[in-house]
Amino acid sequence: MAALQRLGQPSGGNYGASCNGADVAVPDQFPAGLRILVVDDDHACLKIVEQMLRRCLYQVTTCSQATVALNTLRQSKGCFDVVLSDVHMPDMDGYKLLEHVGLEMDLPVIMMSADGRYSSVLRGIRHGACDYLIKPIREEELKNLWQHVVRKKWNENKDIEHSGGSFDENDRQKRASDEVEYASSVDEGTEGTLKAQKKRSIGKEEDDGELENDDPSTAKKPRVVWSVELHQQFVGAVNQLGIDKAVPKRILELMNVPGLTRENVASHLQDNTLQKFRLYLKRLSGVAQQGGISSTFSGPVEPNVKLGSLGRFDIQALAASGQIPPQTLAALHAELLGHPTGNLVTAMDQPALLQASLQGSKCIPAEHGVTFGQPLIKCQSNISKNFPQSMISVDDVPTGFGVWSPNNLGAGTLTSGSTLGGMNPQNSNMLIDMLHQQQQQRQQQHSTLSEPSRSINVQPSCLVVPSRSSASFQAGNSPASVNQNCSYNRSAVIDYSLLSSPNNSVNIGQISDCDLKTTGVLSGYSAPGSISPSASSCSVNADNGTNQQVHNSIAFRAARQVPGLVPNVSDIQTSNGVKSGEVLDQGPLRNLGFIGKGTCIPSRLAIDELESPMNNLNHGKIYLDNNSNRVKEEPNMEFVDNAKFGVPLLPQYTPNDLMSVFTD
Amino acid sequence: MDNVIQLQKKLVDYKTSLFNEGILDDQFTQLQQLQDESNPDFVVEVVSLFFKDSERLFDELTKTLDQQNIDFNRLDAHVHQLKGSSSSIGAQRVQRVCILFRNYCEGRNIEECLKCLQQLKREYYFVKNKLETLFKLEKQIMEAGGTIPVQ
Repeated sequence: MAALQRLGQPSGGNYGASCNGADVAVPDQFPAGLRILVVDDDHACLKIVEQMLRRCLYQVTTCSQATVALNTLRQSKGCFDVVLSDVHMPDMDGYKLLEHVGLEMDLPVIMMSADGRYSSVLRGIRHGACDYLIKPIREEELKNLWQHVVRKKWNENKDIEHSGGSFDENDRQKRASDEVEYASSVDEGTEGTLKAQKKRSIGKEEDDGELENDDPSTAKKPRVVWSVELHQQFVGAVNQLGIDKAVPKRILELMNVPGLTRENVASHLQDNTLQKFRLYLKRLSGVAQQGGISSTFSGPVEPNVKLGSLGRFDIQALAASGQIPPQTLAALHAELLGHPTGNLVTAMDQPALLQASLQGSKCIPAEHGVTFGQPLIKCQSNISKNFPQSMISVDDVPTGFGVWSPNNLGAGTLTSGSTLGGMNPQNSNMLIDMLHQQQQQRQQQHSTLSEPSRSINVQPSCLVVPSRSSASFQAGNSPASVNQNCSYNRSAVIDYSLLSSPNNSVNIGQISDCDLKTTGVLSGYSAPGSISPSASSCSVNADNGTNQQVHNSIAFRAARQVPGLVPNVSDIQTSNGVKSGEVLDQGPLRNLGFIGKGTCIPSRLAIDELESPMNNLNHGKIYLDNNSNRVKEEPNMEFVDNAKFGVPLLPQYTPNDLMSVFTD
Repeated sequence: MDNVIQLQKKLVDYKTSLFNEGILDDQFTQLQQLQDESNPDFVVEVVSLFFKDSERLFDELTKTLDQQNIDFNRLDAHVHQLKGSSSSIGAQRVQRVCILFRNYCEGRNIEECLKCLQQLKREYYFVKNKLETLFKLEKQIMEAGGTIPVQ
């Protein structure tokens, strides 16, 4: 293993022999002898995992109590390489254990649980888990446990190695600031490089395919060509980490691409952050101003409104994709709107929208990478052209979200869009107006965000788009505008796949039960299979032709609703018959505030718990919602959060409609 | 030897029927594959642990549902545990009821929860019975000098 070789000081001989945790893997014996501590209160499962690990030639220690495990770890520091822990334990929450281990021993921790819901998995990742396994565990999953150890060590070594090296300016800049400061430095760097990269960005935007790291500062280093796959991996990593934690070092770890350096990642991160988003926003506003958007809503869509919407939308999309925890969304939303979440949305279609978006996000099939920035812009232009009436919002959404909403499902974006679309014209107007007001307040701050409304629209739709089915979403169904514009094609779009892991039984069912009614869309979501069967009504069948009818209305609604999404999430849910008790985390959703502030922070970008979208942007934190990559695509994953979120939003959002946005 | 062959056939047929009827799923097969010379009684041991944990959980569930004010979160936590362990050994039908049960917990539906508990117990004792029969058959084969056929 070449990668291992690089780790340095391979300790010859038995890897497991020494208790020195700093030992790097020994190529010839590793991963045999890897020392694992397994913690689970379920004795049967503990024994099974133990046996499986033994078969992988690991050195296993089991523990059925978290407190005992922690003491063991403390007493025998350096005697373990990795910890595998259950989430639900009677004496201590698995996440608490995770935190302790992370802080005190800095060991990679892998979580296990029978709970495969998206929200739970996301929670695990956010707490810093290196991986999240869903029970029942299979031996194959445990075989590669060693990668987490290697990756961690490798990245640590790399950082040490490179600390004294020569980097290009950007890298130096980034390197200078440690992870914590990264955001701020990037922020500054962003401003500086914005102009320089703008041209390049534009050029890149036109380019539908590869993203090249043209940063002149990397001249000294071999160029890294950011292929679509690589970018998707990048996006996935960022999404998994969350916007606030998406620092180059960790992204690099997650990406696990041999030969890729932290500098490469840092550069790419910078390239893909604010600038693109801003450009995208500008385009959105440009398009919107052409009157495209306004046609969708009964009311005129003001640019500033859009600003807010975009932010929101993003947040929504993100939320939908499950990337953004409801709380964050609510918070974002609140922030964007500039007032308590409750104000904005009236119950109208928001629940539907929310649902839709949530679902959409869930539905989003995994793999669409978030093409950060690039597609967005592209879509934008496309969309603007097509702006069919209600669909426009949808269109917008996709474009806006091109960046982060995976084409796949457009889940991210679609949902937003869809939700918006779902909203009644009146509602839309109302929302828009509200947004508008909000936006105006925020506009100055979030000048970069421009097409809120657009984005919002897009989002819901994106969200709605079922992950898997996205492909199946026929372009034909949805308004032409939607489809065509969605140049997101899967690759670019936010990868809600994460949300909607193929096998995930997305809890859309929960949401869907809340009769998303019309939203065949919801049903569409489940199409990809990510939606749990229960999401009957919601099971968005991307392929459903029926979705189309709703399509327009939904899109319309979605657009409108976006602003109010967050607050209404809870409201909506109930109003939509969504079993509020079930799917939607109304409370959390509120906090999401994903309607976002004026800063149209792509949901992906912006969403970070309790961080305002703007902040995220400023910090250059890109939160690419590429869940699919990261979220364990285990069967039984339920995207409850997503479902919940989206459910209210898109009562009538048909998956097709949403999907169409994304299908090219 | 005839006896052994007969018993072996009986075992294979029995196992096949359990899978066909959805009582056991692929996870159980995984367990069997994990059994080896270093761990010859692996499956029996794991299943015994499952029985023990489950029965304890049933007691907890019954107790929780007996309360005046049912703590649904607690209920859900127990069912979740049961779901995890049943899925780990491949007790598919038990796992399915757990999923249903969890939905009712979330919906705070007492009546349905009670019904689910009854159904859960039924499925549990059913699979327990089947597994015990299976193990008995295997033991018989071993005692007759035969080997357990690997499906």
